[in-house]
Amino acid sequence: MNSLLISKRFIFTVVITSLSIYLVFLLNPEGALRILINLLTFAGIYGLSAIGLNVHFGWTGLLNFGHASFMGMGAYVTLLLMPHAAGREGEVTTTGLPIIIAVFVGIAAAALFGLLLGLPAIRLRGDYLAIVTIAAAEIFRLLVRDLESITGGVYGIISYTENLQKFRPEFINSLSLSYEFAPSQAWVGIIAWVSIILTLFLLKRLNSSPWGRALRAVREDEDAVRAMGKNAVWLKLQSFMLGAGIAGLSGVLLAFNYGSLETTVFVPLLTFYVWAIMILGGVGSLTGPIFGSIIFWVIISETDRLAYIFFENANGQQLAGFRFLLVGLLIMLLMIFRPSGLLGKKEELLLDVK
Amino acid sequence: MSSNLLEVKNLKKSFGGLQAVDIKELKFKKNQLTSIIGPNGAGKTTFFDLISGFQTADSGDIFLNGDDISNSHPYQIARMGMIRTFQLTKVFDRMTVLENLMFSGSSVTNDSFTKSIINTKKQRNYEIELKDKSYEIMEDLNISHMADSYARELSGGQKKLLELARSIINNPDTLLLDEPLAGVNPKLAEDLLGLIQKLASSGISILMVEHNIEAVMKISERIVVLSEGTLIADGSPNEIRNDQNVIEAYLGKDDG
Amino acid sequence: MLDQLGNGLLLGIIISVASVALSLLYGVTRIVNFAHGEIIALGAIATLFFSSPIDYRILFLDKFSPLGLNFALSCILAVIVCGLFGGLLELILFRPLRKGNVGNIAVLVVTIGLSIFIRHLYLLFATGKVQNFPLELQRRQTYLFFDMTPRNLKVLIIGILVMILIGLLLTYTKLGKAMRAVRDSEELSSVSGINSDNIILITWISSSMLAGLAGVFQATINDVRWNMGFLILLLIFAGTVLGGIGTSFGAMVGGLIIGILVQVSVGLPFMEGHTEAKNAVALGIMIVILLFRPQGIFGQKERIS
Repeated sequence: MNSLLISKRFIFTVVITSLSIYLVFLLNPEGALRILINLLTFAGIYGLSAIGLNVHFGWTGLLNFGHASFMGMGAYVTLLLMPHAAGREGEVTTTGLPIIIAVFVGIAAAALFGLLLGLPAIRLRGDYLAIVTIAAAEIFRLLVRDLESITGGVYGIISYTENLQKFRPEFINSLSLSYEFAPSQAWVGIIAWVSIILTLFLLKRLNSSPWGRALRAVREDEDAVRAMGKNAVWLKLQSFMLGAGIAGLSGVLLAFNYGSLETTVFVPLLTFYVWAIMILGGVGSLTGPIFGSIIFWVIISETDRLAYIFFENANGQQLAGFRFLLVGLLIMLLMIFRPSGLLGKKEELLLDVK
Repeated sequence: MSSNLLEVKNLKKSFGGLQAVDIKELKFKKNQLTSIIGPNGAGKTTFFDLISGFQTADSGDIFLNGDDISNSHPYQIARMGMIRTFQLTKVFDRMTVLENLMFSGSSVTNDSFTKSIINTKKQRNYEIELKDKSYEIMEDLNISHMADSYARELSGGQKKLLELARSIINNPDTLLLDEPLAGVNPKLAEDLLGLIQKLASSGISILMVEHNIEAVMKISERIVVLSEGTLIADGSPNEIRNDQNVIEAYLGKDDG
Repeated sequence: MLDQLGNGLLLGIIISVASVALSLLYGVTRIVNFAHGEIIALGAIATLFFSSPIDYRILFLDKFSPLGLNFALSCILAVIVCGLFGGLLELILFRPLRKGNVGNIAVLVVTIGLSIFIRHLYLLFATGKVQNFPLELQRRQTYLFFDMTPRNLKVLIIGILVMILIGLLLTYTKLGKAMRAVRDSEELSSVSGINSDNIILITWISSSMLAGLAGVFQATINDVRWNMGFLILLLIFAGTVLGGIGTSFGAMVGGLIIGILVQVSVGLPFMEGHTEAKNAVALGIMIVILLFRPQGIFGQKERIS
């Protein structure tokens, strides 16, 4: 009975997602494939990030509002370890680690940052943790901006994409010629979705394992976990590290998707995007964030049309403003009317958490 | 080595200006069922919080089987074989009854992150044993029909049962029961009392805070009375029944 | 470092007023209001709308002309508008959520959505550009050992007077006591005849009025921006947490300390050439304090049992 109910919701979710993809083709008679690939690449990267956030909030009940800084940590560490150019003068660094090692170090750095940020979580209640994480993310952003000699500051990092693109398979190039899409973005998109599949495989295993069960117990009642002889603090820190590591990987992919890394990328609003995706997909659900992310990005990329209804000659600021307006509204309405999102389990809803 | 189970000395704890606990010396013997009673605000729950590590005393020492646990974390004390329950029942609401039990019974090594990724054969076997053990306990307590229900769906009394089941799955030496009968219907209270007595006779030392005086008198071997944080009486149920201090503490000040 | 003290006091008084407002709301409703900054911005934007000359056409899609009212009157009206807005939020959003037994964390997420939504409403429909109140420029003068413009000194004095007033109201009036009763226990106060719905409504209104006032201060001293509330929100959190969340007196002092810290840290030796990072110092201090004293400087440790 129970599983039947979930599978019904699953079918519903798949149908909605397919419809939203169909909508892209419907609204864009020309260049739909290019738009779709752009959208799916973003959806993959943000979806991956939301999966990490779900480990924090959905599994462990940790109110993390500094997710953008985990993504940023992964991205900056990875890029700076590889050949790149940075700063006002575009100072070139030609030596560096092979990409696969750099990415792993980046993920580890993000996880360590998660551990560091998780330390205050030892003693703090949920709403305090929200404030601490958002503040820490802001500190991270300000430091990245300010430590120009290391991070390139406001001038950002460039000339790093080749590290990844030189491994791009030939078939993408030939397909891109006949279907007119950006091959470099498609390559990032493919890696993002492969990462999602691998991550989900790992998380599915963990979710049904004794470790995943222990995390859920921490989410429910930390005191009772302690009373059963379990170290709730260590479990929370592990959860922080795992989710931050996943976010770190998604940050790296986001940097590769943009082609140049600016300090305006890893800002609080990015965190709120990811929150919206997680809630839409279903808090606590494994696959929810994927579907949530696709639908979210269809909404985001097609709202420009709506914006033009209100503003005849909308400028970039107004278009972006309109997107965020919708994101805010989406978060609010979902939380009020459908807090379990598309695939969240109603029985495991985190609604009455005090 | 001390033959006492638990020993506290000069234990003090205050909140703001309020002295919640101030106990010079108190010892508990092994294999005894001791009840701690006292009027509201007597410091009973604070005392439990202190000896189970959930709060740190302002001063004083606590020994469990001769080991100083004054500064130990709750999980460390629990691993030493002393398991507590809570006045406001704490079950894992959004987990099933079976999951509640399996989590509680699972060893720390079994919970490890790396083992969980690798999913070893050893871990799988352990989980099967754990499941069997959980069902055994549920059958003992007559709750096996609820194994797959979410704990939040249980009644107050059933939650108390679940909390007790969870506490005994790892065969503790000592149980600290904080108002195990509060809010439980009379029929279930009867069952719970029987169960507690059975656990006591199976060799588990039990410390119990309980407001139901009748029940306390019936099953306790020893009763400790606290009032305003201090020890005012200590003895067998009969002695306590006739103790002048106790009568005053209950009637003199609480005469509402 | 001393030359930054005047700036520090000014930023401090803004944060202080806003922190008291946030803390008051949290104390009574247990809501951590992420949309607090947007009410601050509303205070500034409303003042701008009331006071700008009527031929001024940068605001509001060029479609509405500002009212060109007297500046002091504009400020008062703006604060009242903020109060009404806060009351409206309680009536149409937060009261239904409370009656529906929606948990604190869900409400917190709702306030985040609300904050993003309102902020971008400002961007789209009020002002995308940095604006200034229609006031003439003033020269700085030296008072005691810090210097500021006469107008900013007036802001500082008004701010201090408002704080004293709030302190007196909370301590001595029936309403203030009732607010504290609701904070201690909603159930208890409803039994004892205090209408907690009304108290919460009044709290929303007064908290929003204070936030609006902080916005007026902020815009008078600096300028009006659509995202000005969000930019200062984290510092307000820092002030509130530093003083002890839920304690009004603590929030006052905490806000002042944070404001002064932010400005004075510009003068620290290692901060040379890193003025952008001045907020990081204050936020870092907040995190460290939370690590060692989660209840803040003035907060009472909550009793667990």
